[in-house]
Amino acid sequence: MAVAVTPDTKKNYLTALKEAIAEEMARNPDMICMGEDIGALGGAFGVTDGLIAQYGRERVYDMPISEAAIVGTACGLCLNGKTVMVEMQFIDFISCGFDQIVNMTATYHYRTAGEVNIPMVIRGPAGAYGGGALYHSQMNEAWFANSPGLKIICPSTPYDAKGLMKAALRDPNPVIVYEIKDLYRKREIEEVLPEEDYVVPLGKAKVVQEGDDVTIVTYGQNVYHALGAAEKLKEEGFSAEVIDIRTIVPLDEDTIVESLKKTNRLVVVNEAPRTCGFAGELLSRMTERAFEYLDAPPVRITRMDTPVPWVKPLELYVLPSVAKITEAALKVCRY
Amino acid sequence: MATTTTDTAQTSPDGQSSPGNRPSDRLTPDDYRELLKQLYLARYFDVRLIKEKKRGRLRGTLYSSHNQEAILVGSLYGLEPMDWISPIHRDMPAFFLKDFRSGWDNPDRMGMTIEEVCSQVWGKATSPGRARDNWSHIGSKSKRIIHSTSMLAGTIPAAAGVVLADRLNGLNTVAVTYNGEGSTAQGVFHEAINFAAVEKLPVVTIIENNQWAYGTPTHYEYPLEDFARRADGYGIPGLVADGQDVIDVYNKVMQAVEHARSGNGPSIVECKTFRAYGHGDHDDDRAEKYRPAEEVEKGRKRDPLHVMKARMIEMGILTQEEADKHPAEGKGASEVTDADFPPEVSEYLSRGVNFAVKAPLPDETEGAMWVFKEGE
Ligand SMILES: Cc1ncc(C[n+]2csc(CCOP(=O)(O)OP(=O)(O)O)c2C)c(N)n1
Ligand SMILES: [Mg+2]
Repeated sequence: MAVAVTPDTKKNYLTALKEAIAEEMARNPDMICMGEDIGALGGAFGVTDGLIAQYGRERVYDMPISEAAIVGTACGLCLNGKTVMVEMQFIDFISCGFDQIVNMTATYHYRTAGEVNIPMVIRGPAGAYGGGALYHSQMNEAWFANSPGLKIICPSTPYDAKGLMKAALRDPNPVIVYEIKDLYRKREIEEVLPEEDYVVPLGKAKVVQEGDDVTIVTYGQNVYHALGAAEKLKEEGFSAEVIDIRTIVPLDEDTIVESLKKTNRLVVVNEAPRTCGFAGELLSRMTERAFEYLDAPPVRITRMDTPVPWVKPLELYVLPSVAKITEAALKVCRY
Repeated sequence: MATTTTDTAQTSPDGQSSPGNRPSDRLTPDDYRELLKQLYLARYFDVRLIKEKKRGRLRGTLYSSHNQEAILVGSLYGLEPMDWISPIHRDMPAFFLKDFRSGWDNPDRMGMTIEEVCSQVWGKATSPGRARDNWSHIGSKSKRIIHSTSMLAGTIPAAAGVVLADRLNGLNTVAVTYNGEGSTAQGVFHEAINFAAVEKLPVVTIIENNQWAYGTPTHYEYPLEDFARRADGYGIPGLVADGQDVIDVYNKVMQAVEHARSGNGPSIVECKTFRAYGHGDHDDDRAEKYRPAEEVEKGRKRDPLHVMKARMIEMGILTQEEADKHPAEGKGASEVTDADFPPEVSEYLSRGVNFAVKAPLPDETEGAMWVFKEGE
C-alpha cells in the first residue's frame, strides 16, 4: 500500500537548502563552512543550524565580520584541496568581498592554465519585495555575470534549491547562489522532496508552465509574478509559457530558443536595475539567436534604475509586478 | 599600560585621569542632572519603541541600545555643535541627542528633532531621509551627522573626509564615529584609521564593545583583552572606558576629543558594555541559543542609570528619595511603565511618536527620484 503523503512531509525552501548543505557536509569530509554567525546561532536565517554541533569548529567557522577575509581564506582552502561553503549574511554584503571574488577567485583557473580550480560556493539571502531597503534587498548578480569564471544560480522552488545547491557544492568552480529570502518560509511553495540523493544540474532552464502565445523568461521571485501574469493573460485569451532559467551563468539558451520557435514573442522579467542588468543580456542573446522567430519586439520588465527603497509603496513602484508584466505581455501579444 | 591611555598630561600611569584634572571636573550639578535625564530619555526611546512594535504600530527591526546608553550620552555631551558624528544601527538616540546641550527644543540645535527621528522609525515622509532607507540610515549634512549605510565601518573614511574638508576650510572640528566591536574586523576600518593617523585627522573612533556581534563572541572577532590596544599599531592613543558609567565615557571621549582638536590626530576609545537583549528585536527570543542566561544576567547588572544615580548620591547632588522616584533601571521593556520615567522624558518622546504616527507616507513616485541631481 502506498504511503499517503501527509502535508507535513512538505518542506520549505529554507529546509531544502539546509538539507542540501548538511547532506554535502556528511558526504564530503573535505567540505568546510565559513560565515558570520553560522555557528551557535546557525546563521541569521538558520540555514546552518546544527552544523557546528555536529562538526565543530574544525569544519564550521564563525568568522569575524570580514567578507574579504572570508572569501580569500576560503579561496586558499580550496587551493589546497578543500571545498568551502561561504555564507554571506545578506548577499548585499558580498560587495565587501568583491575584489577577492572577482580578481582572486574567479580568475584562478584561467590564470593558472587550468592548474588550479576553486570549488567554492558563496551563498546568501537575496532579493527585494520584503521591505529590506537598500542594503537588504539587492540582486547584484550582474556584477558577477560580468566577471568570467563565476557560475551563478538562483533557485525559485524547494526542489530546485536543494538540487541546485548540491550541484553547486559538487561543481569544481566557484558558484554564487542567490537564495530568495522572501521564499525561505513561504508556505504556498512548500513541496515534498525526494528521499534519495539528487542534483539539479547547473545550466538547465525549466519550463514552469507551457503556453503558445508568449514566452516569459525570468528567475527568482519573479517566477511567481510571471505565473500571476500568465493567469491574467489567460483571462484575455492568451496563453503564456513561463521559463525559470534557474542558472544565470552558464545560461541555457536552447530552452528559451525552442520556446520562441513556438510562441514567437518574448518578455523578460528581472528585479535587478535595467541598465546592464541580466535582462539586457537575455534580450541580446535572444535577438542574436532567435530574431527570425520573433513576431514582436521583445521587451524587458525590470526594476527602475534605482536602489531598492524601503517603504512599501516606493519599493513596489520601482520593482516588476504582476500588473507590469501583464501589461507588457499584452502589448507584445497584440503587436 | 601606556598602550591603553592617552599620552596627554591629564593621564596618570594607571590609565585613569587624575582627580582635579578630569574633564568631568568642569561639569556642574546641573550637568549631572541633565546627563541623568538624557540617560532616561535614551532608555525610554528604546522601551517605548518595543512597546509600539508589540502594539503593531510600527514595522522594521529595532536594534536596542538598552544598557549601552551611557556611551551615547557621555560621548555626545562634550562635543561642539559643529562637530560631526557618525552613528550606526545601535545608536538611534544619537540622532536627537546630538547638541542636546543647546536645548532639547532649540530650533537651531545641530541635532535632529524627536519628530524627525520618530518619523524615520515609522517610515514617514517627514523623516530626514523621507523613509527611503530604514532605521539608522539617515543623517544630515547641515546638522553634521554622517548618513550611515548597512555596511559596517563603512562611514569611517567619510568621517576622515569631512574633517579633512573642515581643516582645509579653516574650521577646527572633530568627527566621532560609533562602531560595534565586531565591525572592527572590516578592512575599511583599518584603512580609514590608518589614513586618519597618517594625516593626524581629528577622528575619534568609539568602540561600543558589547561583547557580542550578533551571535559571535569577541574571542572569535579579535584576540585581545582590550581592543583599544589595536591603537598601538596605528601609532595613536587607545583608551578604555567603563561604558556603563556616563562620566567615565565623558572623560575618556573628551580626552580624545581635546587631543584631536589640538591637532594631535585620531584616537580609539573602547567603551566596555554589554548587549542586554537580542541583536535586534527579531533575535530577542533566540539569543539564548548562543549566549548563556547567566552571562546575560551578569551583563545587565550594572545599569547605566543606576551607576549614574549612585554617583550623584555619593556627590550629594541627588537624594535616595529622588533616585527612587523613577526606577526605570534594571527593567526590561515588558516590565517598565511610563511612571518609571520623569514625565518630561515620556512627554518629549510621546510628542515625536504622535507626530510620526499621524505623518503621511511618502508618495510612491519618490521611489524613482533623486538617483541623480537634476537641473542647472
Ligand atoms: C559588511 C557587513 N557585513 C555583515 C553585516 C551584518 N551585520 C549587521 S550588524 C552585525 C553585527 C555587528 O556587531 P557589532 O559590530 O559588534 O555591533 P553590535 O550590533 O554588537 O552593536 C552584522 C554581522 C553588515 N551589516 N555589514
Ligand atoms: Mg557588538
